[in-house]
Amino acid sequence: MPEHPTDTRRAFFAMLTKGLGALAAAIAVVPGLALLAAPLRRAIIRGAGQPLRVAVDHDVKPDKPIRVTATGELHDAWLRLDHVTVGSCWLVRATEGAPIRAFSTVCPHLGCGVDFNEKTNKFDCPCHASSFDLDGRCLSGPSPRGLDELEVSADGHEVLVRYRRFRTGTSKKVPMEETPE
Amino acid sequence: MNTGPVAFPPPARARGAVKPWRAWLHERLGLAGLEKAILGGEMPGGASLWHTLGGVAAGLFVVEAVTGLFLALFYAPSVQTAWASVAYIQDQLPLGWFVRGLHSFGSSALIVVAGLHLLAVLVLGAYRRPRELNWMLGLGLFGLTVLFALSGYLLPWDQKGYWAKLVEATIAGNTPVVGGAVQQIIQGGSAFGNLTVTHAFAAHALLLPVAFVALVVLHIYLYRKHGPTPKWSMSADEIVARTVPAWPYQSMRNAAVGLFVLALVMLAVVVHHGAALESPADPTSSYLARPEWYALPLYQLRMYFEGPLEIVATMIIPGVVTALLLALPFLDRAPTNRPSDRKRVISATGLSLIALGALSALAVSKDARDPVYAKGRAEEETRTREARRLALKGMPAEGGLAVFLNDPLNHARAIWDERCSGCHGLVGTGGDKGPDFKDYDSRAWIRGFLENPEGLLHMGTAKIDKGMKAVDGTREEIDALAEMVYAQTGAPDADAARAAHGRELVAQKDCDTCHELDGEGENAGPNLAGRGTLAWIEAVIADAGQGRLFGEKNKMPKFAGKLTPAEIEDLAHFVIAQKTGH
Repeated sequence: MPEHPTDTRRAFFAMLTKGLGALAAAIAVVPGLALLAAPLRRAIIRGAGQPLRVAVDHDVKPDKPIRVTATGELHDAWLRLDHVTVGSCWLVRATEGAPIRAFSTVCPHLGCGVDFNEKTNKFDCPCHASSFDLDGRCLSGPSPRGLDELEVSADGHEVLVRYRRFRTGTSKKVPMEETPE
Repeated sequence: MNTGPVAFPPPARARGAVKPWRAWLHERLGLAGLEKAILGGEMPGGASLWHTLGGVAAGLFVVEAVTGLFLALFYAPSVQTAWASVAYIQDQLPLGWFVRGLHSFGSSALIVVAGLHLLAVLVLGAYRRPRELNWMLGLGLFGLTVLFALSGYLLPWDQKGYWAKLVEATIAGNTPVVGGAVQQIIQGGSAFGNLTVTHAFAAHALLLPVAFVALVVLHIYLYRKHGPTPKWSMSADEIVARTVPAWPYQSMRNAAVGLFVLALVMLAVVVHHGAALESPADPTSSYLARPEWYALPLYQLRMYFEGPLEIVATMIIPGVVTALLLALPFLDRAPTNRPSDRKRVISATGLSLIALGALSALAVSKDARDPVYAKGRAEEETRTREARRLALKGMPAEGGLAVFLNDPLNHARAIWDERCSGCHGLVGTGGDKGPDFKDYDSRAWIRGFLENPEGLLHMGTAKIDKGMKAVDGTREEIDALAEMVYAQTGAPDADAARAAHGRELVAQKDCDTCHELDGEGENAGPNLAGRGTLAWIEAVIADAGQGRLFGEKNKMPKFAGKLTPAEIEDLAHFVIAQKTGH
């Protein structure tokens, strides 16, 4: 502990300097951290919320999943693209005339693109070997949940899919676009 | 931090109660030596405000580095993305405007403080033996600071950055012999383009910081080696008697002045809501290019040297001044640091300052009195507001000027070209199958329609079976009927009395045989209530075959379902915007 009065003064000045310096540092750093944290509070990439035409009905044959891409509007940070591939999905029909179901190709484990294995009639993830049946259920592998089903609207002719992305690695299916604007 | 068992030797010979974690670090890093190296300097003759300037400049550089890093996390250097990403930082990200403002106004503050530092060194005579090399290093740092500012100014790729840099690059290009090559390397090609942005960004964010830090380290090392220069008026005894440790006596002053400068910078940031961002660079515009404030003296100086003499202002005078400054420690042979012994240096410094101030004032006052400049500024401000507002909708991929495509009218024009122009005209030459919309729904257009509905500009090309007949009436009667139709569009300048007269003529002229006027009723011709309003035009575009519109006589395709309601609205605005007259 400082005993001499000069030591007290000196300690006070040292503290003051540190305080002023910390304040200056905070002025420079804290707003920058707010900027850095922006993606936590707003959706930087926003896909189209509306149904996108991906196929015509008769292209989807029973037990023969087809992979289609959804093209629509995409907002990416400052950019707005009107006609761009926003994602892809598998269209599956169980039997002739049965409704078409759509599964995102994004593996719920770590986000690789799930492929269809014609020999086993299953969806396989090429990265970590998760495997899913035609209903999207996870049969084996590390995926925490089944394939993410997407909303389909079909009028008997055109197949429209509402493409969305979901958080990977969680057992619950949480849409990513739901981060507040 | 110092909880839990102490797993390392406790401090043995530390002064007072040293915290165990400090002792631990000291044993491994030699903390005390580092501390002594950083904080151990002395202030011969005492601490002073004069001596704060170098430290404050260094502090501002750190602020620039920190804010610059945050900005670089969001900035994308290319012609297509530069403006868009800066507008995104400025207008959409939380506190983006503040960080960018700190960076921009901070750089101005850095130039001011570095300039004052230079001035203090000149006045104190601190450039003299044995500090000649450190003086030159300092000048080098000042030069780098200016290069930082010049390269940073371009990065947003807005009007002011683009044009200021274009002029500077051209000046560099006018250097004898090497100029052309230098310019092409700086701008990455024979003209401004993507490589200009990437080059400026790499220089600004990589090359210059590395060079600056290297010079600063040397600068501080030499400063510490030779120590600060006390005021000339002190005797040797006085200097010794007043000497204090730099920490914390000088450091405290540095921190206080630094914080004060930062407060001023923040004030400027808040008052101006961050740094300016003008509309995207438009290489085809006639922008009134002005440099940043620190380059105004050179800009003004150039005015006095025209043609082949231009190089005197752009190269020779700045070159001679720089050479004189660098050589100053060797030219100054005065016996002491006293200003009275260095009259030539002090008076040259004073005169230079006056010249810089006068040139800047001339440049500013000339623009302030110039109506052409004021008009150019006002136009740019409008354009800036428009561009920034339109950018909020999301930038088109082409970036930059393409932001104006977000304008509903521009958007509508694209739809028009694709969907409407096959049948309709826009320029008064008539459509192929429908009316021409040049000056649509002006009094002249309506009168022309009433007088000759089958005219080339009206329904003639639509070839409607049993279409409308020309109105038979006096000039006044037709004017009144036209005014009645004109008033339906909601035009604010409609003459109510004349329109009312026209309303009376409707039955008299048998208009009501085919036209209803209640907004609901269906008849052979369109219901005239609200004809020409936005909603009415939208309804026509959506489905002109509705009973209250053209009904069975309609030949225009239905666009509801093919265009979104928003597109139809944009298109209706576009049609209304064709009316330029009255």
